[in-house]
Amino acid sequence: MRNNNCELIRRELDELMLDEAASGSVSEHLNECAGCREFHRTQTKLRQMVGSLGTVAAPADFEFRLRARLANDANGAVPFGFASWSFARRGLAMASVLILFAAGVAVVWNMKQRPTSTVAEQNPPAAVPRESPRQQIQTPAPPQETPREFRAAVPENTPRTIRNERPVQVAQRVKRPMSSVDFGFTPAEVVGRDPAVVFPIDASLQPMRVSLDDGRGNAKTISVPTISFGSQRTFTTSNTQKGNW
Amino acid sequence: MDTLTTIDEMGFAPALQQQMLEDTTSDHALLEATRTGDQDAFAELVSRYRNQITSYIYRMTNDYDGAVDLAQETFVRVYRAADRYQRSYAFSTYIYRIATNLAISELRKRKRRKLVSLTGFFQQSDGGEPQELNPPDGRPLQDLELVDIERRNAVQRAISTLPEKYRAPLILRDVDGRSYDEIAKILETSEGTVKSRISRARGFLREKMRAYL
Repeated sequence: MRNNNCELIRRELDELMLDEAASGSVSEHLNECAGCREFHRTQTKLRQMVGSLGTVAAPADFEFRLRARLANDANGAVPFGFASWSFARRGLAMASVLILFAAGVAVVWNMKQRPTSTVAEQNPPAAVPRESPRQQIQTPAPPQETPREFRAAVPENTPRTIRNERPVQVAQRVKRPMSSVDFGFTPAEVVGRDPAVVFPIDASLQPMRVSLDDGRGNAKTISVPTISFGSQRTFTTSNTQKGNW
Repeated sequence: MDTLTTIDEMGFAPALQQQMLEDTTSDHALLEATRTGDQDAFAELVSRYRNQITSYIYRMTNDYDGAVDLAQETFVRVYRAADRYQRSYAFSTYIYRIATNLAISELRKRKRRKLVSLTGFFQQSDGGEPQELNPPDGRPLQDLELVDIERRNAVQRAISTLPEKYRAPLILRDVDGRSYDEIAKILETSEGTVKSRISRARGFLREKMRAYL
């Protein structure tokens, strides 16, 4: 109870001005309580010391410097930097930055959404291990007009693999839109009725041989037999020579 | 019709004349005149407040040159914002608020830069700025004025170690002698908070200045 009372008395003393007299009850308490009396003494001395600091005078050229500063500002020499911009200018700058950022995001998003145009992009790269350049076999470019049946038997975009060998990377090629023409119902042009017409076909009867190196020093030779397209007939003309069909 | 040249010729009652004269020289009136381009009115405002503001900022920052710069910045802001000035508060409250904000901003900048005195060896346990080692000399001094100067320096150093939220109300109350109400308006807080902070600030100071009390 006494401590509580002392706290209230000290708070009241704290709020008084230095030259302000304390109330009767506070004065009575100070006469009785040595702790509060000591507090009042030290507090008064402290406040007198702080109050003795007084006012520090501004320098004599204060107004001159201030006028120069204001004149400098009036001449348009505003400080450089973002902090010196007006609120509207800052808002405009922020809006511009946001618009540029949004445009950048849109461009990146569009680029990611663009459909892939190569075979390699359609097949995940991880599924096709990298090979040394000499192991890569260029697949011959297919003819533009391929019979429908043949194309069905050999699906497109299938990487060619050699038995007991790692998959061979298929060269990237551009997938172009193809249009096929069926010549099944079109009568073939008959050639050769004129005995004078002779067209040479330089077809060798030797099988084609392909030598492959698997990269470990092992060579393998593949022999491709000659394909026969049926009976062959040569024209019996006087100009017939060897090699003319 | 004769032209009236003095306010006496207008025939107002003496009390009204006095009020009109005070109105024309009040801070508000001077700022109004400044707004219309009257440079002399602004010069009068500056001459009224330059010492108070410089002294207040110096007590806050403990750096005289910096205080002069900030005091000038205070007047520049008053001049620039003269068009936006509202008479809801006293002009002194308005200008002290600007000065307080600038001083606190400067103190925070310093804290970020970690400007520490080369002789500041001891960091305060309450998180305050480092206080220089400067114990009171027990030997008798020859000159009482020297004693007084040394004591004031010690007080200034002790104030500069206070946290900024305690420093401003203590200076406004115990150095400038402003009322709690005005301090509350300057610091934009409640009167109870101001009283509490001043009491805490005095408690801190009493601990730091124990050797002098």
